[in-house]
Amino acid sequence: MTAVVFLLPIALLLGAVFVVLFLLAVRDGQFDDLDDPPERILRD
Amino acid sequence: MSHPTTRKSAEGPLARLRRPVAEGSSAAVRFEGGPASRSLRCLHCGTAVEDPEDTYCCRGCEIAAAIIRGAGLGRYYEEREEFAPRPQPALDAWHTIPVHVGEDGVADVRLMVDGLRCASCVWVTENVLQRTPGVVEAAVSYATGRATLRWDPARVDLPSLAGRIAALGYRPRLLGEESRPDRDLLLRLGVAAFAASNIMLIYVALYAGWFGGMDARFVTLFQWASLVLATPIALWCAVPFFSGAIQGLRHGVLHMDLPIALAVAVLYGHGVFTTFWGGHAYLDSLGMLVALLLAGRMLEGRSRRRAAEAAVSLAATVPATARRIRNGEVRVVAADELRPGEIIDVGTGEECAADGTVVDGAGTVRMAIITGEARPVAIGPGDRVVAGAVLQDGAVTLRVEAAGQETVLQRMAEQLRSAADRGARPSRSDRIAPWFTAGTLLVAGVTFAVWLIFSGVGVALTTCVAVLVVACPCALALSRPLAAAAGLGAAARRGLLFRSADALLDLVDADVVALDKTGTVTRGELTVLRADDATLRVAAGLERFSAHPIAAAITAEAARRNIPLPRAEGVRERVGEGVSGFVDGREWTLRSGGPGRVVLVDARGSRAEVHLGDSVRSDSRRAVRAIRALGLDVVLLTGDHEEVASAIAEEAGIQQVIPRVDPEGKAEWIRSRQEAGHRVLFAGDGVNDGPGLAQADVGVAMGTGAASSLLVADGVVSQGSILPIEVGIRAARACRRAIRLNQARSIGYNVLAVSAAAVGWVNPLVAAVLMPLSSLMVIWGASRVEAVVRGGSE
Repeated sequence: MTAVVFLLPIALLLGAVFVVLFLLAVRDGQFDDLDDPPERILRD
Repeated sequence: MSHPTTRKSAEGPLARLRRPVAEGSSAAVRFEGGPASRSLRCLHCGTAVEDPEDTYCCRGCEIAAAIIRGAGLGRYYEEREEFAPRPQPALDAWHTIPVHVGEDGVADVRLMVDGLRCASCVWVTENVLQRTPGVVEAAVSYATGRATLRWDPARVDLPSLAGRIAALGYRPRLLGEESRPDRDLLLRLGVAAFAASNIMLIYVALYAGWFGGMDARFVTLFQWASLVLATPIALWCAVPFFSGAIQGLRHGVLHMDLPIALAVAVLYGHGVFTTFWGGHAYLDSLGMLVALLLAGRMLEGRSRRRAAEAAVSLAATVPATARRIRNGEVRVVAADELRPGEIIDVGTGEECAADGTVVDGAGTVRMAIITGEARPVAIGPGDRVVAGAVLQDGAVTLRVEAAGQETVLQRMAEQLRSAADRGARPSRSDRIAPWFTAGTLLVAGVTFAVWLIFSGVGVALTTCVAVLVVACPCALALSRPLAAAAGLGAAARRGLLFRSADALLDLVDADVVALDKTGTVTRGELTVLRADDATLRVAAGLERFSAHPIAAAITAEAARRNIPLPRAEGVRERVGEGVSGFVDGREWTLRSGGPGRVVLVDARGSRAEVHLGDSVRSDSRRAVRAIRALGLDVVLLTGDHEEVASAIAEEAGIQQVIPRVDPEGKAEWIRSRQEAGHRVLFAGDGVNDGPGLAQADVGVAMGTGAASSLLVADGVVSQGSILPIEVGIRAARACRRAIRLNQARSIGYNVLAVSAAAVGWVNPLVAAVLMPLSSLMVIWGASRVEAVVRGGSE
């Protein structure tokens, strides 16, 4: 059970990495248009 | 607008570009199946043509195909699902538009592109633009019809890019200012969702520990971990609610944000306290509350922004230039630069750039943008015309009387804008919020006092917090945005876009639907009313290369009836004398035959008429019947004479007609109905409908109409039909029913839960089960809106 003491912070840190990635993606404008890109792949 | 006086389709500079087309078949494409399988069709736009030599129906289509093949995109013709629109000459003055050039020396602009019918249209437009030298980036969105262009101003300019889009048959328009998607809210939602889901996982362990027993060290670890996760939620994600509540308080209104902010503050404060000094926290409830509310807020914002975007894209800006004549010299200048007394020149198909008096020349103008009247009016020296009027044929010289912001059109638009600002109503969404807040605080206070007397401070505080926690405004606060998003979305998908949920909900109480005639019940454009097939065939043959509105009406009708266009030779078009040329070896002349008709005569004196005019939309009758079936009265308001008005009303199935009313008269009539206790919906399309749209309880503008009517309207119909109005009424009713039911449910839940909490039955685990249940109930209620609207339309 003592492993939890290490695992919990590690898991949260890993999660935080993804939150930061999400932050960068939003800043980058990847979520601005959610309707068009899915159709674009059918067109090319 | 002149076109070649004689033509043979196999000649001309574009002939060599046509050769690749001929691969496979010797001429035009033959389409298999369908009633028109034996007829030949224009390769680009699909209009039927008679002669196997004709690959294209007109020069415009020929040029469009040349551009597409020139860019190496011939695949378009094999893969598309719909024919392209027939290219029309562009009238917009793109060179007057100031272009924004970024620091990197790249110019950019966002355009609205009309007429994109299928994915292939988007593909071909995008690729033609991308392959134009000098273009850095070109992206066309099928979902919104918007094009984003970035280009090197040294190598290519906006007019030629716009011209390329127009040459393909699509119509580019400049977009006004638009709101950008709310990235901030999305970030907050993302962080809240991440933190909340992790808190919930940790709490599952904590709850398990309750029953199974858990080492105190681990309890402390889990509590601290969840406090760490809850801190960004309370201090950053929930900021919009705090600022909303504070703003509301500053203006003296108890906003729905207030109980939310209160709940967040209590939950977080209590969480911090219990983590330090022991006890059970409700941090999982805090996380879920904030995450769900942010999601609801984002959904509502998104559907509102979509409606606003669509309204913006319908409100076409009309960039105007004028040809000024000074000292015998003609110069193109921006319309704003014109001064009273100056002389300008207007040609066929152009819009008058200023108000003025005709000093020379003659022609017919269409003033639909001002009067809402489709029928062209003949003008000559001494007659007055207004800016925005389209000269349908002829050529005139005008002496400017008013230009720029002083024109009748601009003054009307300005009045409408100020009327719209005054008419902005305060939101009525928060009538429950103050009662809710006051009720919760009162119950919490009483609970605290009662338990203090019987059991002491510790128990009193715990119970009081439990009351504040379960009296969660989550379900209540979600009930409106979710149902509103569902209602706005259901209406928008069927062609009626509303600026706000309040505007949609106003529709529920409407009991009178007043409809403008021109452009609303009727098409508002010139169409062929009566002509026999043989006459139409010859007339369309003569007119097929012309861009004149009458020509467009005749060729469109021929295409509709599937009449193949014959080859006409030696076509001459003379202003005032009409068009003449040879079809089937006989010489024909098509000329004006009095109001509302053109006559086709041949050398031997035979004579046939084509009647033109405004016609009732094909689905108006169905729409009127459906609206009446919902229990609303339908009234036709028009400036026309009684006979014309009643004929139209009869055709559309409308029983009550108010003829001969001017724009103010329409607003006056609406006011009189309102004073009689009715709620009026008014639908119109012209600038002249502005006062009526502003006066009505719900003003709906036709998206095909004048730009300025969109400014005052609460809603916009995005297609040429009044059917969406009926759907909108049903969507509004379903939306309000869902909101009421949801509010009733969440209040019922709160009464039960608060009573349970006040007597001390609620602990964090019970709260963790109850809260999502109430929110799920509300989400389910909102999801019913789309189903109800869909069910009614089948």
